Amino acid sequence: MKISKKVLSNISSLSKIKIEEEIKSDLIKDLESILKMVTEMNKIDTSGIEPMSHPLEDADNLRKDKATKEIKRDEYQKSAPQTDDGFYLTPKVIE
Amino acid sequence: MEDLSKLSLIDQINGLKSRKFSSLELTEFYLKKIDQAKALNSFISLNENALKEAKKSDEKISKNKNSSLEGIPIAHKDIFCIKDQITTCGSKMLENFVSPYSSTVYEKLSNSGTVNLGKTNMDEFAMGSSNETSFFGNVLNPIDPERVPGGSSGGSASAVAANLCSFATGTDTGGSIRQPAAFCGITGIKPTYGRVSRWGMIAFASSLDQGGIFAKNALDAALALENIAGFDEKDSTSINKKVPSFLNEAKSKDKEHIVGIPKDIIEDIKDDKVKNNFYESLEILKKSGVKVKEIDLKNIQYSLPVYYVIAPAECSANLSRYDGVRFGHRCENPKDLEDLYERSRAEGFGEEVKKRILIGTYCLSAGYYEAYYIKAQKIRNLIKQSFVNAFKEVSSIMMPTCANVSFKLNSIQNPVEMYEQDIYTIPANLAGLPAISIPSGKIKNLPLGIQFIGNYLEEGNLFNLSNKFQQNSNFHNE
Repeated sequence: MKISKKVLSNISSLSKIKIEEEIKSDLIKDLESILKMVTEMNKIDTSGIEPMSHPLEDADNLRKDKATKEIKRDEYQKSAPQTDDGFYLTPKVIE
Repeated sequence: MEDLSKLSLIDQINGLKSRKFSSLELTEFYLKKIDQAKALNSFISLNENALKEAKKSDEKISKNKNSSLEGIPIAHKDIFCIKDQITTCGSKMLENFVSPYSSTVYEKLSNSGTVNLGKTNMDEFAMGSSNETSFFGNVLNPIDPERVPGGSSGGSASAVAANLCSFATGTDTGGSIRQPAAFCGITGIKPTYGRVSRWGMIAFASSLDQGGIFAKNALDAALALENIAGFDEKDSTSINKKVPSFLNEAKSKDKEHIVGIPKDIIEDIKDDKVKNNFYESLEILKKSGVKVKEIDLKNIQYSLPVYYVIAPAECSANLSRYDGVRFGHRCENPKDLEDLYERSRAEGFGEEVKKRILIGTYCLSAGYYEAYYIKAQKIRNLIKQSFVNAFKEVSSIMMPTCANVSFKLNSIQNPVEMYEQDIYTIPANLAGLPAISIPSGKIKNLPLGIQFIGNYLEEGNLFNLSNKFQQNSNFHNE
């Protein structure tokens, strides 16, 4: 499995991780070796088999959908890099 | 005074109850040892309130109001959130993250009376098999400081092995408790998926992650696990089943065992010394009256490729929350929102984490989703079925924990070679089964482990079998 620089740039953009030019070729080598190992999967016929997303069949313990009065915005926003008046601050999105 | 750090957890409980020593004395003893063993780098942070907690426990003990683990010092993997304390997950991304709430595992152990010594080092976001990916530096193996302690819970394993605590918490997504337990010569249990709540345990791969315990022997691990297991309504994947006394089950004389030996896997072990150790361990078990049966675990050889699709896919989704906006690292002077995301994540994550996010993103992207992600999920189903079929004939399955003993620092550079560290541990995570690693001997002074995989919710059975082995061997005390 080959990964072109174009594919790398696509997954870098999808995962929102900037990749510096000088590490690209080493990174591609590593990713290709992982994908090569992964393609071992193609040796097995899986037609008619259900995909399994989770080890538990009945893992569905949903709690009651009840409103609570717990509002801890100030406490949670203490960990934020930048806030103002209860809002998270980011660079301008709309000019 | 005797060396309190050599005592097992159960001996420490008895010592505290009979007032042989106090929790304060025990805690001071450990804090001094931790300070002397700084070079191991087992801890990322220490709990400033440890002595206060110990004094509180001593008061409770003096009034006979003690809980089950009252006054026992413990170390927590730095993946478990503790309210108002820094939880880093071994990453620069969370270097300054102060958690606004506590994990259920921490809460339960705190309610059981434990004294928190501090948070242990780990591979960044639990991604690694050597503890070399931690932002806070690698951890040394106390058995041989030129070698790795294993990963990702390397700090907890090295702390227990170096007698810096009698037990510690860990997490296991593909072997992150069992492999370091084996490398450091201690006991490590990953329970059934859903047995221990994941609330407040920082997520890596949600369908595989499970919290567990490191201890000096099976009985200690049994007692510790029963203190963290149980239903938690805050975790929708938590199993709503009563938790038995694992300690009683571990000691029970009524349990009969039929241990399954997956012949093809054992015959394929490349290192003869590891293979010989497996058969020698089997003889120890047979002498204690355990029955043995050969089994066939079909498709298990695909576990590694399946895992390296599913785990990165889930990690790429889970780690998307680190955006530099709400919490965690934020880059300096972002020029726009896109730049803020891309640089904060590039700076905050280490190389291994980025690699896995990229692989996961690739496997989930348009055009590749069916070929990778769905294909892996289908084989995961086949692997689970192989185990379900095997457990119709046997009560547990025995395999080595690792294909080798601990390796030297920086000696593995190829990612796939590193991933192969987990070939024997990953299958239990894919199926969601409980599994334990116990010491089974040494190669040139370096510990080896054997692993027992049990049927769903049969942790008690694994402790019983491990205890039988430990009653007939002394590797856990060496």
